[in-house]
Amino acid sequence: MIGFVRNRVLLPVVGVLTVLAVWEATVVFYRLPPIVLPSPWAVAATLADLVGTYAFWRDVAVSLYEFVAGYAIGVVLGVAVGLLIGEWRVFRLTVTPVVESLRFIVPFAWIPLTILWFGTSFTGKIVLVAYAVFFVMVVSTARAIAHVEPTLTRVGTMLGMGPWQLALRVHLRAAAPTLASAARAAAAIGWIAVVAAEYIGASAGLGLMITNAATSLATPVVIAGMIVIGLIGAGVSALIGWLARRQLVDR
Amino acid sequence: MVAVAEATAATPRAPRLGPHATAWILGSLGALLALAAWTLLSQWLATGGGVINRLPPPAKVARELVQYAAGDLGRDLAFSLRVFVIGWLVGAASATVCGLLLGRVAWAGRIFLPIVEAIRPVSSIAWVPLSVVWFGFGLTSKIFLVALAVFLVVIVYAVDGSRRIPADLARTATMLGMNGWQRFRSLILPGTLTEVLIGSRVALMAGWGTVIVAELVAADSGLGAHLIAVQQSYDVPDVMATMACFGVAGLLMNALFSALERRLVPWRHDSGDVAQ
Repeated sequence: MIGFVRNRVLLPVVGVLTVLAVWEATVVFYRLPPIVLPSPWAVAATLADLVGTYAFWRDVAVSLYEFVAGYAIGVVLGVAVGLLIGEWRVFRLTVTPVVESLRFIVPFAWIPLTILWFGTSFTGKIVLVAYAVFFVMVVSTARAIAHVEPTLTRVGTMLGMGPWQLALRVHLRAAAPTLASAARAAAAIGWIAVVAAEYIGASAGLGLMITNAATSLATPVVIAGMIVIGLIGAGVSALIGWLARRQLVDR
Repeated sequence: MVAVAEATAATPRAPRLGPHATAWILGSLGALLALAAWTLLSQWLATGGGVINRLPPPAKVARELVQYAAGDLGRDLAFSLRVFVIGWLVGAASATVCGLLLGRVAWAGRIFLPIVEAIRPVSSIAWVPLSVVWFGFGLTSKIFLVALAVFLVVIVYAVDGSRRIPADLARTATMLGMNGWQRFRSLILPGTLTEVLIGSRVALMAGWGTVIVAELVAADSGLGAHLIAVQQSYDVPDVMATMACFGVAGLLMNALFSALERRLVPWRHDSGDVAQ
C-alpha cells in the first residue's frame, strides 16, 4: 500500500511539480515576456477566465458538434463497407486499389478542398471527420473480419445460418473487440482533424480560437486552448472506448 | 469469408483464372468504375450541382499533375521531405534516449512517464499555433512539430522495448559474466531499437500528416504551401493534383519502410494492407 502510494501518487506529483518549477524558473530567470512563454500561473488564470466566457463555450460546442456528426457518419459507413470488404471477395478485390490509394491521402490534405467546396461551414468539417474516421474503420473492420476464427464460421454454417446472418451475427460480433479499439483510435484522429480544419478555414471553433490567439500573440490563450483540446480529445476517446467496450464486448 | 472464398474457388469454370489474374481484373475494374463515376459526376455537377460545383474531371487533374511535375513539384517535394526527414530523425533519436532512460531507470520512469502520458493526447497538430509563435514560419517550427509528432509515438515503443527484455536472456547474460555496459550494448539496446524501428514506421503517417498541417498553416514553402496557394486561387484541378502528390509520397514512404522493416525485423512484420 505504501509502495503503491509512493509509486503511483507521490512520484508523479514530484514529476509534475518538477516540470512546473522548471517552467516557472525559466520564465523568471530569463525574464521571458508572456508572448514567448507565460508562466504556469498566467496560463491557469487565462484558462479560468476563458471558462467564464460565452465565446469559449460556443467554440467548444461548435467543435464538438462537427466532431460528433462526422464521427457518427464515418463509423457507420466505415463498418458497413469494411464488413462488405471482409465478407464479399469480389467486392474486396474490386475496391482494394481505390481504398488503398485514397487511404494514403491523409485527411489533412483534404482541408483546402473541403474549404473550396463547402466554405467555412460546418459541413466541410463534418465531411473531413467522416473521411478520416471512415478509413480507420474500413481498414480495421476488414482485417478483423478476415481474422475471425474459421471454426465460428463453420459452426454458424452448420447451424444453418445464411451469409447475411453469419456476417451480422457471428463475424461482426467476433470482431467486436477490434472494432472497439479502432473506434477509440478513430475518435482521436477525428478530433484532431476537426482542430486542423478549423486552423485553415472556420467561422468558429477551438482551432480558430487558438490560431486567432497566435496571430495576436496571446500566448497564454494559445496554451490554455491546447490544454482544452487535449483534455477534450482524451475525454472523448476515453468515453468512446468505454462505451464501445461496454456495448460491444462485455455483452 | 473463408466459406465464401472456398465456395467461389470450388465453382467449376471453363477457363479457370488464377487468383492473381482475378485480383488484377477486378482491381482494374474497380479503379475504372471509380474514374468513370468521377467523370460522370464532374459533368453532371458542372451544370449547377449545388455545393460541389467545382469538380474537375480526372483527365484535367492528371494534366495538371503532369504540368506540376514538370514544374515546381521537385522543389516543393524536396522542401517537405527535408522537413519530414530531419524532424523524424530528431524525434526518433530523442524518443530512443528518453525511452531507454524512463524505461530502465525505475524512479525516473515513475516520475516522468505520467507527464509523457499527459502530453500524448495533445496531438502535435494542437502545437502548430504555439510553434509558429515560438519559431516563426520557417523551417525550425516545422521540424519541431514533426519531431514532436514522431517523439510522442516512438517513446511508447521505446519504453516498452527497453522493458520487454526476455528474462531468460537477461539471466543468460548475467551467467555469461557480462557487466552492466556489455548487457546494455548487446541486450537492452538491440531490444529497444527493434521496437523503435516499428514505432518509427507507425509514426511515419503521424509525421507526414503533421508536415501537411504545418505547411498549410505556416505556408512559406513545400507541398503544403503550394496547396494553400492554389486553393486561394480557386484552382480545384491543381488542388486535387497536389493532394495526389501527398498521397503518392505517403504511399512510397510507407512501402519503403515496410520493406526495410521486413528485412531488419522479419519476425515482427505486420503489413497494414486491407487485402492480405
